[in-house]
Amino acid sequence: MRGIEIVHGYQEDIIETIPSTILIVDRGREVLYANRNFYLKSGKKEKDVIGIRLSKIFSPVLMQKLDKKIQEVFSTAEPFEGEQIRYPGGRFYFYRIYPLREAGGAVSKAVIFMEDITEMTRLEEELRDSYIKLENAYAELKELDGIKSEFVSMVSHELRTPLTVINSYLEMFEDGLLGDLSDLQKEKIQLIRSQTDTMIQLVDDMLDSLRIGARRLRLKKELTDIEDMICSVIASLSRLADLREHVISFRCEMADARIECDPKRIIQVLSNLLTNAIKYTPERGRIDVVLKEENGYALVSVRDNGIGIREEDRDRVFDKFFVGMEESRADMGMGLGLSIAKDIVEAHGGRIWFESRVGEGSTFYFTLPRGGHPEHT
Amino acid sequence: MKILVVDDAPFIVRALRDTLAARGFEVHEAQSGEEAISAYRDLKPDVVLMDILMPGMDGLSATREILNIDPAANIIVITAIGKPGLEKECMDAGAKGFLMKPFRARALMELIDSFSGRGGR
Repeated sequence: MRGIEIVHGYQEDIIETIPSTILIVDRGREVLYANRNFYLKSGKKEKDVIGIRLSKIFSPVLMQKLDKKIQEVFSTAEPFEGEQIRYPGGRFYFYRIYPLREAGGAVSKAVIFMEDITEMTRLEEELRDSYIKLENAYAELKELDGIKSEFVSMVSHELRTPLTVINSYLEMFEDGLLGDLSDLQKEKIQLIRSQTDTMIQLVDDMLDSLRIGARRLRLKKELTDIEDMICSVIASLSRLADLREHVISFRCEMADARIECDPKRIIQVLSNLLTNAIKYTPERGRIDVVLKEENGYALVSVRDNGIGIREEDRDRVFDKFFVGMEESRADMGMGLGLSIAKDIVEAHGGRIWFESRVGEGSTFYFTLPRGGHPEHT
Repeated sequence: MKILVVDDAPFIVRALRDTLAARGFEVHEAQSGEEAISAYRDLKPDVVLMDILMPGMDGLSATREILNIDPAANIIVITAIGKPGLEKECMDAGAKGFLMKPFRARALMELIDSFSGRGGR
């Protein structure tokens, strides 16, 4: 052992200064030596310790255990590797006993090491308590989450039945199966249609947020033309845009706009971004959609000249249930659209972000990897 | 063209009857899985619209049972349950289509048109 000769020179200092208690006893349990730590801890004087039996120094509770272990060490000449004991007054110690061999091999003395582990034990208990509390809280949350999921599923199921009935008759009106409608009736039917579609979308969003929250979003990818998807989403929202007299433009700067994606989900993203642009732009606004290619990704931007996003709201835009600007809330939905859009884009390996200035408008961007096979591209 | 609507919700049955009858279908109704099976035996409809969640025998079991009787049966599941994996389960059971309520009549018509060899409306 290298350096041990250094220890020889300082043995006494080391033993006297280490923060553990060291006692040496003989077979009769009389104390032959105690280090400084013992006197500090016990407050006893040397004359009340040296040559005195251990039973006069330690409490009977402690002695009961200690005495038995000392006996074992003397009779087996094997060390006792230690255990924890609780000292009256709430302190905890960890002690070990080692036999000290004479030159001839006989064991007539033993050394007792005692460590005050009260603080460690207290921390351990605190940790255990926190752990139990955490486990309980987790179980409670899990149960609540289960109840929430069940509730949302149930609500969504219950809403779909009346929506099916409303939708069926609405379609019959729209398709002229219930007789000719006056222009005024047609106009009102259009309003009912737009609100019914909003409600259907809300019910779909509710279920989606559950699925995505539980990471159960499954993509059905196929090679699809994103230019076509953008055109069809703009067409499907034209009625809503017309109601507010917005102008929507679309520019495609991508030669081959086919990408590997789940078309239903990407249409959902486009539809969410465009619906927001329409909703958050005052009447007679401009909405510009641009599709380009950037570093092997398709990049879509949707710019409006609407109300913009307030500085203090910017971190929460993609949060579930976040709804911008409190006024005219009635029209704004549940605030699930962007959180769903983000989940869908990220599930595709893309990115979604925005730029915005209050009073000037917002631009939302998202990218999608082109994916697919070389022969298609 | 004969179409059997299976659903335990009376308003749904009524709405689907109206909308399909107005589009020229001969509509028949059943309110449970058991009723659907016996109606299928009696009527041999061209298309079955099958709800899933019904008291007694559910739509999935009824679908399997009808396909036992007639492996060529055209069954379209119509459901309000948004359970992940349900569509696959229904298609695996032999359904020819899956529509989430509420659905567009156009989507239903397209599905029915796709069942070639069954004659037009």
